[in-house]
Amino acid sequence: MHKKMEAILSRVQKPARYVGGEWGSVMKDKAKVDLRFAFCFPDTYEVAMSHLGSRILYGLLNEQKDIWCERVCAPWIDMEAEMRAAGLPLYGLESGDPLSDFDIIAFTLQYELSFTNILNMLDLGGVPLLAAERTGLKHLVACGGPCAYNPEPLADFVDLFMIGDGEEIMLEFTDLYRRAQREDWSKQAFLVEAAQIPGMYVPSLYEVSYRTDGTIDRVTPTNGAPAVVQKRIVQDLDTMYYPTSFVVPSTDIVFDRAMVELFRGCPRGCRFCQAGYTYRPLRTKSKEVLREQAETVLKNSGYEEISLSSLSTSDYGELSGLTECMLDYCEPRHVSLSLPSLRADSFSTELMQRVQKTRKSGLTFACEAGTQRLRDVINKNITEENVLRACEIAFQGGWNNVKLYFMMGLPTETTEDLDGILDICKKVAYCWRVNTNNRARGVRITASASCFVPKPQTPFQWDAQDTLAVLREKQTYLKGIMKTKNVTFNWHDAETSVLEAVIARGDRRQGKAIYLAWQRGCKMDGWDQCFDFDKWMQAFADCGLDPAFYASRQRPLDEVFPWDHISCGVRKEHLREEWELSRTAAITPDCMHKCTACGASALLKGGACRV
Amino acid sequence: MFKARMKFAKEGRAKYLSHLDLMHTMQRAMARCQMPLWFTEGFNQHAYVSVALPLSTGYSGACEFLDFHITSETVPENAVEALNAVFPAGLRAIEIYPLADGGMKVGAIEWSQYRITWGFEGEIPTGFAEDVRALFSRPVVEIVKRSKRGEKTVNMRELMRDLKITQHEDEVVAVVTTAAGNNTMSPEYLTRAIRQYLPEYNIPFSAYHRMNVFTGDGIPFR
Repeated sequence: MHKKMEAILSRVQKPARYVGGEWGSVMKDKAKVDLRFAFCFPDTYEVAMSHLGSRILYGLLNEQKDIWCERVCAPWIDMEAEMRAAGLPLYGLESGDPLSDFDIIAFTLQYELSFTNILNMLDLGGVPLLAAERTGLKHLVACGGPCAYNPEPLADFVDLFMIGDGEEIMLEFTDLYRRAQREDWSKQAFLVEAAQIPGMYVPSLYEVSYRTDGTIDRVTPTNGAPAVVQKRIVQDLDTMYYPTSFVVPSTDIVFDRAMVELFRGCPRGCRFCQAGYTYRPLRTKSKEVLREQAETVLKNSGYEEISLSSLSTSDYGELSGLTECMLDYCEPRHVSLSLPSLRADSFSTELMQRVQKTRKSGLTFACEAGTQRLRDVINKNITEENVLRACEIAFQGGWNNVKLYFMMGLPTETTEDLDGILDICKKVAYCWRVNTNNRARGVRITASASCFVPKPQTPFQWDAQDTLAVLREKQTYLKGIMKTKNVTFNWHDAETSVLEAVIARGDRRQGKAIYLAWQRGCKMDGWDQCFDFDKWMQAFADCGLDPAFYASRQRPLDEVFPWDHISCGVRKEHLREEWELSRTAAITPDCMHKCTACGASALLKGGACRV
Repeated sequence: MFKARMKFAKEGRAKYLSHLDLMHTMQRAMARCQMPLWFTEGFNQHAYVSVALPLSTGYSGACEFLDFHITSETVPENAVEALNAVFPAGLRAIEIYPLADGGMKVGAIEWSQYRITWGFEGEIPTGFAEDVRALFSRPVVEIVKRSKRGEKTVNMRELMRDLKITQHEDEVVAVVTTAAGNNTMSPEYLTRAIRQYLPEYNIPFSAYHRMNVFTGDGIPFR
């Protein structure tokens, strides 16, 4: 580390996140590798290091002898200002080398409001922002992750997108890239060839034409690129690569613990949930493999906590057997077990006692909506009775800290649904009074309401988001009524949700607005202290784009969407059927009870889900 | 169960770890090499580790001490090697011994020896080293010292001794012993005093490295 950097590090907040050298980080000799891969996370180190997918792919890439994968995170604004003032480029945490030294620069797309950070990181790393400006094979910018299911707003900046699970396509991609390096292909030749890899989307090979009303007329593939890019899935989680250790940050991060992945996909069919649709079909890891991987990761990382992670942990078939054998290992070693994503309808005394054995943290139940009618609209398939029963068990078991999640602005929502939120909270507070064995200790019930964002590849992709004015009105109303003893009410800023909705269902014309917003200083938009809504709206206006066209327009059922040529395996007709069912508050049973023929099972060898 | 002490170094990239970060990092490293740590038995069970005189974030040190409780009867064989194999970059175990084996009370520490590096962009300003020497040869150098109990003007010369200044190519290095323990004075006050009394010099870069800690009698702490 040179002096300039040391001087900077003595002035910035939390310098430990900028120096690397953590246990488990991989050092290689750059002279002895063919391919230098920058795994970029467009947010701070603390967020980046908490992400399981990145940990898996970091391990996988570094298992390849000829590839050195390094981590690159977005510096916080104080660090960025110092780096720019000193003329220091963004660098890989392992080698400290500038981003411009890397061959492949890959970003994981977890959140729409991190898009300006991608531009900012490329700029800070000395890499041209526009794909068209990067003419060589070097500095190939690739993206993957949840937001890649609508990659269009980033089409100007990104050379290619990997759709779906990254474990297999990643190595096919790097193999082809190394071949292109050896044989000295042009970038164009490489991209045309890469588009033949299943799951690979090369936006520059598609032409988009628009209608006079601004909607898309058609998307035409060129150079033999597929008309529809089908996502990739890992067939068998048991044999899938899983790291034997994690990078263990030496400083505090958001989720500072070991993790194992119980299953990919979710058997529920919540109609608002993008992950629920895009991770289909459900694939489960066996108890034995999980136990073994948990042991290995804990042994090698030294973590004192392990989380059983999935989209709906209580739906793991053998959860009680699994926790049993996990606890056998964890208890004597003082390792605690955490079970996030528990559903209120499957929270049992038995399960509670297991988690309690190690450490008692708060419990969170997602109710999502205040009335049964609205919960049926979104297919949350959970009843007030389920929630109260779960709270009863928790309060009897000595818990006095319960969080309830709600969304506001859901399709078909009325005042009655907002009143329902208060109603549930009151009932939970009452439930505590009658069930607790220690009233003197008090209770903390936290109700949080976020603003609904319609997402692509879900049944609500046709729906209008409430306008900012309506969302604010609803928030004011809720704030007004949520005045119950023992209940704290939290809400999220509506402006961020509006921008999220604009970009989530945006098209490639938005690239100009994103660029302009970044140029005018927008970055770290997911952080309240940095977010500047007016600047964003001005950027859209200056590009001749209307944010309302993307966010709060009810889209006709036959509209061609910017992401229609990206398929997560679920048929658009199925999404449409689900949309229609939602308008009559008709529920659809989960995959464990009845197959809805969504289409995702066709991705599996054998063509049938194993649920 | 008995108390053990580790002497270790915290250098390079590890100097940016805060005190709390260091404690977590130590506990995880001990778990990785299966050190038989003793855990408290209360409601919130945790390993018992404590660092004597934690360094400020950004300082390096070659003479750091971590006390912890272990359940085995002796310090495991090769414990130093085992820990060094699982430490992150910049941490290095030097010696691990039972506290009973000559370990002193942390309260006995009264002096710390530091190496201060003042770096410049380009050449060292003429006269800098001489002027600094002259400044700290004065019998009284008053400075406002901040502590938990508020601000106080003190004569910093009473809180430092054995200052030796050497000039190198693009940096000036001071080795100094400053008060530690109850009436501690951070070596950063030397840099502050230069800024205050010799404002003509701009020091763009300063680094601090703890070389040694001593008891009141000048015996190296162990």
